[in-house]
Amino acid sequence: MTHEQHSKAHHHPTIALQVNQLTVNYDKTPVLWDISLEVPVGKIVGIVGPNGAGKSTFIKAVLGLVPPLSGKVEFFGAPLNEERRRVAYVPQRESVDWDFPINVRDLVLMGRYGSLGLCRWPRKADLMAADHYLDLVGMASFANRQISQLSGGQQQRVFIARALVQEADIYFMDEPFAGIDMATEVAIMHILRQLKERGKTVFVVHHDLNTVESYFDWLIMLNMRLVAAGNVTEVFNADTLNMTYGKSYALFNEAIKLTHQKTQGTRGPI
Amino acid sequence: MLNSPYLYFTDAVLRAPTIGCMLMCLASALVGVIVFLRKQSLLGESLSHAAYPGVIGGVIVAGLLNLHDENDSLISLLILGGAFVSALIGLIVIFYMQRKLKVSSDSALCFVLSAFFGIGLTLASEVQFSYSSLYRQVQAYLYGQAATMMDIHIAIYGGLSALIIFVIVLFYKEIQSIAFDRQYATSIGIRTHAIDCLIFLLIVLAVIIGIRSVGVVLMSAMLIAPAVAARQYTNKLHLMFLLSALFGTISGFLGNYLSGEITQLWSSDPQHGRLNIPTGPIIVIIASAICLLSLLFAPERGLLIRFIRIIHFRYRCIYENILKSIWRQPKRDITFEEIAKYHTASAWYIRFILYRLIKYGWLKRTEIGYQLTVDGSIWAARIVRLHRLWEVYLVDYLGVGAERVHRSAEEMEHIITPELEKQLTLLLKDPKHDPHDQPIPPR
Repeated sequence: MTHEQHSKAHHHPTIALQVNQLTVNYDKTPVLWDISLEVPVGKIVGIVGPNGAGKSTFIKAVLGLVPPLSGKVEFFGAPLNEERRRVAYVPQRESVDWDFPINVRDLVLMGRYGSLGLCRWPRKADLMAADHYLDLVGMASFANRQISQLSGGQQQRVFIARALVQEADIYFMDEPFAGIDMATEVAIMHILRQLKERGKTVFVVHHDLNTVESYFDWLIMLNMRLVAAGNVTEVFNADTLNMTYGKSYALFNEAIKLTHQKTQGTRGPI
Repeated sequence: MLNSPYLYFTDAVLRAPTIGCMLMCLASALVGVIVFLRKQSLLGESLSHAAYPGVIGGVIVAGLLNLHDENDSLISLLILGGAFVSALIGLIVIFYMQRKLKVSSDSALCFVLSAFFGIGLTLASEVQFSYSSLYRQVQAYLYGQAATMMDIHIAIYGGLSALIIFVIVLFYKEIQSIAFDRQYATSIGIRTHAIDCLIFLLIVLAVIIGIRSVGVVLMSAMLIAPAVAARQYTNKLHLMFLLSALFGTISGFLGNYLSGEITQLWSSDPQHGRLNIPTGPIIVIIASAICLLSLLFAPERGLLIRFIRIIHFRYRCIYENILKSIWRQPKRDITFEEIAKYHTASAWYIRFILYRLIKYGWLKRTEIGYQLTVDGSIWAARIVRLHRLWEVYLVDYLGVGAERVHRSAEEMEHIITPELEKQLTLLLKDPKHDPHDQPIPPR
């Protein structure tokens, strides 16, 4: 990076997310290796890769939810702690207990808890905002429903409303299209495009390669290492797909795993 | 003759144990809701046992300081302090084992439970020899002993309970969001580790308050039972806290009232002699009974209502099946025997259902037998439509063999809602024939 670019990124932050040499381990086993990338503001960014490629881990590491072994992450040129209010997270639907005693509106209100701070209760304005975004995702009539009574698509809409109520600038969504109906997928995509028009950046962990080109402007292709990142039109091709989903890396991964087992003294397959 | 419950709040001897137990139950019921929602029910059990060596430690210190029964408040404080410290050590050991030694959570919990309790019991036998005058105290904390509480206990427990309520109210939204989705809570900047520590502190507090009344062995029931009961009645967290507190306090009161009254009743009966009904176990029994009754009879989630719903669904299936079988007869005028031979239900049950069908206007009697009304045939056609739509869906979209779809459709025809029907119709482009080439009735 030249000096000029650096100063530009600093004063007029056109770079939404900058990741430098990010490495993440789970119990001594590497899950993400040396990821470096930059994503400009105002893109809908797809994150693709096979199962176990570390897509969710990438999001979680970037958001500081799993501790990285090394590396630096910056949002708009500043560390996460300074920009946390500008970052919203939509976890995987399956990661929570949907039998929790809470209704839809209160779940969406959680999006405001961070900005409210300690010991303060949601105000009228927060309630209005929650209802507004519930309406936007087409769930206004479900506001008083217990969350266990929602279908998969409705759960996803509610999760997205909770992120929207944060009024953030960057959104990270972990598999928002997994196991939902077509109507919800269309509705969510519509919301993402609206966010983009307002200059927001959205990261989406995605599985369906058929829709990659129509959904995303920018693509991150992961298979424990960064295979490719950039404009969809430039990076999405047979070569990168083969490198992401192909078997050629499997041997390398296995070798890395064995190295760690040997050096840590744990027993693995011989 | 039963005494008035009011007596238990005024009498100088009965007052302290009653109010003390109610406060203790209130505190543990509130903390129990948090523990239950975080799915950490075993933690209460482990920590109450981990507190036991601290209780003995407190007694030993009291012995070393040459304190006697007349210094009861000081001994109580020493014991509370000891219990607090050793429960805290137990907590730290649990976390050290999980984080550093990678021991699974349940193993770590069980290890601390048995190891600490073992140490406590060993120390207790030492106390029995060295400070036999104080051994009574040691016993009191094993199974609980409410009867010997005094006004000073009310003050201590009242203060601690107030502290617990204060903390829960103050950090309500943090407690709620972490219990629901910890990683999301972290992502919006909530200090999950700090709140965790606070919650663990609450659990330890609730446990050390509780063990004086119900003892280390039964303590975890007082954390969990009121919370589980409360969960059956409400889907709102704040109501769950309130209900749980209510159930806890009721158990605390009834435990004292019943044990006092039963003891008194039996004391006049020579067969039972001077049998003393212990308060702690009665409290636990009452709380468990409330919990059990709630699990069985709660209006929305109770076992009974679920059983009734199942019965009702079965009834609806037979009801609709009979309607369908009449609709399938081409002559549309059918005798009872013809209906009965298609169904396995008993003859009187089928007669009962036919009676209901006539009563609700789906069916009418003719000279020979029965005939569908116009409304009845519309409904029957809809059931058949759902059945065949589902078959088309299974075959065309899920690739199930046409010969294997009937059984599933036989059930789904009673389940599919109008909304789902609309979606199916749209998805399948309103098909006219099912996989067996039977016509699908139009909507």
